[in-house]
Amino acid sequence: MPSRRRALLKVIILGDSGYVNKKFSNQYKATIGADFLTKEVQFEDRLFTLQIWDTAGQERFQSLGVAFYRGADCCVLVYDVNVMKSFDNLNNWREEFLIQASPSDPENFPFVVIGNKIDVDGGNSRVVSEKKARAWCASKGNIPYIETSAKEGINIEDAFQVIAKNALKTGEEEEIIYLPDTIDVGSSSQQRSSGCEC
Amino acid sequence: MREAEYHDLSDDADYAASSQQGSSLVARTDSSKRSSLHEPGVAEILYSMDNVAMHPTRYASERIRGRLKLIRQGNSILMTWIPYKGQSSNGRFSEEDKNLYSIRAVPFTDIRSIRRHTPTLGWQYVIVVMQSGLAFPPLYFYNGGVKQFLATIKQHVFLMRSAEDANVFLVNDFHNPLQKEEGQQGGNEVGQQKTCHTEKPKITLVYSRRKNKGREREREAREERNGYKEDEGGRMFPFQVLHPQLVWLMNYPLMMITQRMLLIKSFASSFRENVSQRRKHHDPAQDLSIQVLEKFSLVTRFARDTTAQIFRDGRVGERKRDQSSPEHHPSRFEDSEKVPEVPVSPDRLEKTSSRKQSSGEEAATDVGMFELINFKEFDKLSLVWGKPRQPPLGHEEWITFLDIEGRIVDSEALRKRIFYGGMEHNMRKEIWRFLLGCHSYDSTYAEREYLVSVKKSEYEILKRQWQSISAEQAKRFTKFRERKGLIDKDVVRTDRSLSFYDGDDNSNVYLLRDILLTYSFYNFDLGYCQGMSDLLSPIVYVMRDESESFWCFVSLMERLGPNFNRDQSGMHSQLFALSKLVELLDSPLHNYFQQNDCLNYFFCFRWILIQFKREFEYEKTMRLWEVLWTHYLSEHLHLYVCVAILKRCRSKIIGEQMDFDSLLKYINELSGHIDLDAILRDAEALCICAGENGTACIPPGTPPSLPIEDASIYHQPDADIL
Repeated sequence: MPSRRRALLKVIILGDSGYVNKKFSNQYKATIGADFLTKEVQFEDRLFTLQIWDTAGQERFQSLGVAFYRGADCCVLVYDVNVMKSFDNLNNWREEFLIQASPSDPENFPFVVIGNKIDVDGGNSRVVSEKKARAWCASKGNIPYIETSAKEGINIEDAFQVIAKNALKTGEEEEIIYLPDTIDVGSSSQQRSSGCEC
Repeated sequence: MREAEYHDLSDDADYAASSQQGSSLVARTDSSKRSSLHEPGVAEILYSMDNVAMHPTRYASERIRGRLKLIRQGNSILMTWIPYKGQSSNGRFSEEDKNLYSIRAVPFTDIRSIRRHTPTLGWQYVIVVMQSGLAFPPLYFYNGGVKQFLATIKQHVFLMRSAEDANVFLVNDFHNPLQKEEGQQGGNEVGQQKTCHTEKPKITLVYSRRKNKGREREREAREERNGYKEDEGGRMFPFQVLHPQLVWLMNYPLMMITQRMLLIKSFASSFRENVSQRRKHHDPAQDLSIQVLEKFSLVTRFARDTTAQIFRDGRVGERKRDQSSPEHHPSRFEDSEKVPEVPVSPDRLEKTSSRKQSSGEEAATDVGMFELINFKEFDKLSLVWGKPRQPPLGHEEWITFLDIEGRIVDSEALRKRIFYGGMEHNMRKEIWRFLLGCHSYDSTYAEREYLVSVKKSEYEILKRQWQSISAEQAKRFTKFRERKGLIDKDVVRTDRSLSFYDGDDNSNVYLLRDILLTYSFYNFDLGYCQGMSDLLSPIVYVMRDESESFWCFVSLMERLGPNFNRDQSGMHSQLFALSKLVELLDSPLHNYFQQNDCLNYFFCFRWILIQFKREFEYEKTMRLWEVLWTHYLSEHLHLYVCVAILKRCRSKIIGEQMDFDSLLKYINELSGHIDLDAILRDAEALCICAGENGTACIPPGTPPSLPIEDASIYHQPDADIL
C-alpha cells in the first residue's frame, strides 16, 4: 500500500502579505509571481518531498493562482495571531483558492490553518485566541489547526507533519479516482515518483 | 542639376550625382567588360539563361530579373548574373540599386558550393555559397534550367554532390590553393578577370559615400574611437559596406529554416531601405543582420578566417607590392584596368571618401566579392563580433552628443550608442533622465535646471499630502494605513543585501518608502503594488535625490504602470505577445509549451513585471534597463530578451520534460546565472529576425508602449485599477 503514495506533495501557502515567509533570513524579498521551496518530510516511515509554494500576496495578483495552484495537494492558510485582519481574511483566501485552483472536490479539499507569530511580545500582543481560530476551522469542515512561531521554530516540524498527512489524503483519493487499473503495477510508483505530476 | 550637386560635393549632397554617374559608369564598364570578356577569343559563353531573378524582398514588384551566364575565359569558369536594365519600372529599385545585386564574373575557384532547391510549388532556385561562407541571394529560375545549369558547371568544374545533402553540390572540393593562385595571378587572363571587378569598388564607394551627411566629423571621431562605422542615420556598420551579396550567409547551422528565411527577409528589406535612399532612421537592421548571420555561423566564421588568411598570404601582398612600386601602376592600369587606386572619377572619390578610401581599396582585392571584406577591417570585425557589446558610454563621449547649450543633437545616435554599450555608472544620473523621458532631448542645461527646481517643489507638495495625515486621521483612513503598511513591509526587503540599503535605520530605505508613498498619492488609482519597490530601488541608487528619483519613477511608471493593473491586463498582454513571439521564433519550444499546458507563460511573470530586476545582479540590471529604455530596436525588446533566454534553455526544458511547476522553479533559479551581454545580443538578433512579423505579435498599446492616447481620454482607471 505505501508504495502507491505520491512522493511529491504540492502545498500552497496563502495568507495576508508579509505574514507568511518572514522566517527566511533578512535577505528575503517579496515574492513576485510565485516560487516554491522543497522540503523532505518523513511521514509514517516514508520520505516525501513537500513542494511549498509561495505566491505574490497582493490581491491584484490572485488571478495568477489559476496556474500556480493547479495540482495542489494541500492549501495552508496562514494568519498572524497578532493581526485581526489577517485572521478575518482567512475566509477570503480559502474561497479565492477554491475558485482559482478549482479542485475536483472542493468540499473535501485539504486545508491546514496555521496561526503564526505566537512568540511576538511573549504572546501579549495576541488578538486572535486559539479558541476563536479553532472554532472557525471547525466551521469550515474541521480544518486542522496548528500554532507556530516561525521565528522561534516552534511547532514548525509538527506543522509539516500535519501538512504532509493532509496532503496525502488527496493524493490517495485522486490516485484511486484516476488510476484504478494501474494501482498494482510495480512501475506505477516509479512513474509517479519521477513524474512530478501535480 | 549635376552642376549644382557638384558644388556640394565637398560636403554631402553628392550621393545622387555619384550614384547617377556610378550607375552609368557601371553600365559602361559593364559593357566594356563584356567586350573584354569576348576578347581574343578566350571568352566563351557556356550557358545563358534568361529570367533568372533575385527576390530581395517579398514584394513581387521588387524582384529583379536578369540573365545568368557561365563563361569560360582561359582556364577560368566565371559566373555572371546581370539584372535587366529598365525593366520593372514600377518597382522600387533604381538601376543602381539593382546593380548592387549584380554578380559579376565570379570565378568558380571562389565558389564553395551550390545548393539546389526544387520545390514542388514555385520556382526552382539555387543558392551559390562562396568559399568565404558568404552566399548570394537565391537565384530563381523562372524558366527552369537549374539542371542544365549544374550540368554545364559539371562539364567544366569539379562538382561533387555533398554526402550530407543531396541538393548541395560542392565545387572544387579538393580546394587546391595552387590552382587558385594560378587563376588569380598568372597570365593575361588574370588581368581580364580583374577587369571584371574593377567597377565593384566604385559601387562600394558610391554606397559608402552616402554616409557623409551632417555630422560627419563627429561621427568620424566616434568611429575612430569605437572601431565601427556608421551610416548617415547613425547606424553602425561593422563592415566597410553592406553589400547585399555579402550577407547571404547560408551556413548558420544553428538556425532553423524558417528563421533563416525570416532573417533573409528582414535583411533584404532593410537593405532595400538603405539602398533606396529612404532614410528611415529607426531601422538599425543592417549591421545587426550581419552580426546575426555571423553569430549563427561557426562554419562561416571559419571560412572567413580562411579567406582573410588568403588575403594576407596572397593577394594583399601583391597589392602592397603595387603600392610600393607605383610606377607599375600605369602599366597595370593599362592592361588590366585595375583601378581601385585610380578610380575612374577620382574627384568624387577624393572629396569624400579619401578618408576611408584606403580601406575600400584594400578591400578591392582581386576576387570579385571580397573586395568588401577588408582585411584590416576584418580584424576589427572579429572584435566586434567576438565582443559585440561596446564599452559603456563615458563622459568624454557623452559631451560629444551635446551642443553648447546642452541639447542632445542626435538623440537617435545617443540611444543607439547606449543600446549597444550602456553607460558608465557615473553617467546614469544625468542620462537616465533623458531615457526615461523626464527631460526632453532638445532641452538646454538651463531649461533642465529650471525644470528640476520646479519639479522639486511639486514633489514637496505631493509629499506633504500624506505627511500631513495625523495618526488620528490615519485611524479613519484604512486605505492609507494599508498602503503604508504594505510599503513599509516591502522596502525593508528590497535589495537589503546592497550596502546602500542594508542595516537598520537606513535613510535610503526611508527614501524608498517616502517616494513610494508619495507616488501612491500622485497616482492614487494605481497605488502601491509589490514589485514597485524593485523598480524604484535602482533609480534611487542612481539619482541619490528624492525629488529626482520620484520623477524618474513617475516616468518609468508611465510605461510600466500597466504591469500593476488590478486586472493584470498589462501583464497578460505582454505574456500573450511573448507566447506569440516564441511561436514565431522558436516553434519547437512553443509546441512543447502547448503540449504541456504552459502557454500562459506565467513562469516569465517576474521577468516582465519588474524588468528582470531579480534575474541579474544590480549593476547588470541597470545595464539592461538603460538598454531597454533606449527603445532603440523595439519598445518591447524585453520580450525578445525573454525569448532569448528561453531559447537558450530550450533543450534543457524539453530534454527534462519540465512541467509547469518545474519550469517555474527552473526559470526562477536562472536568477544570477544569465549572461546579460550574450542574451542582449541574442535578443537583438531575434528582434531583427522577427522583423515585422515580430511587431505584429505585439498588440498596439502593449506595455511598455505608452498608452494609446484615445484610450487615456475614455479610460476610467477606477474600473480596473484600485
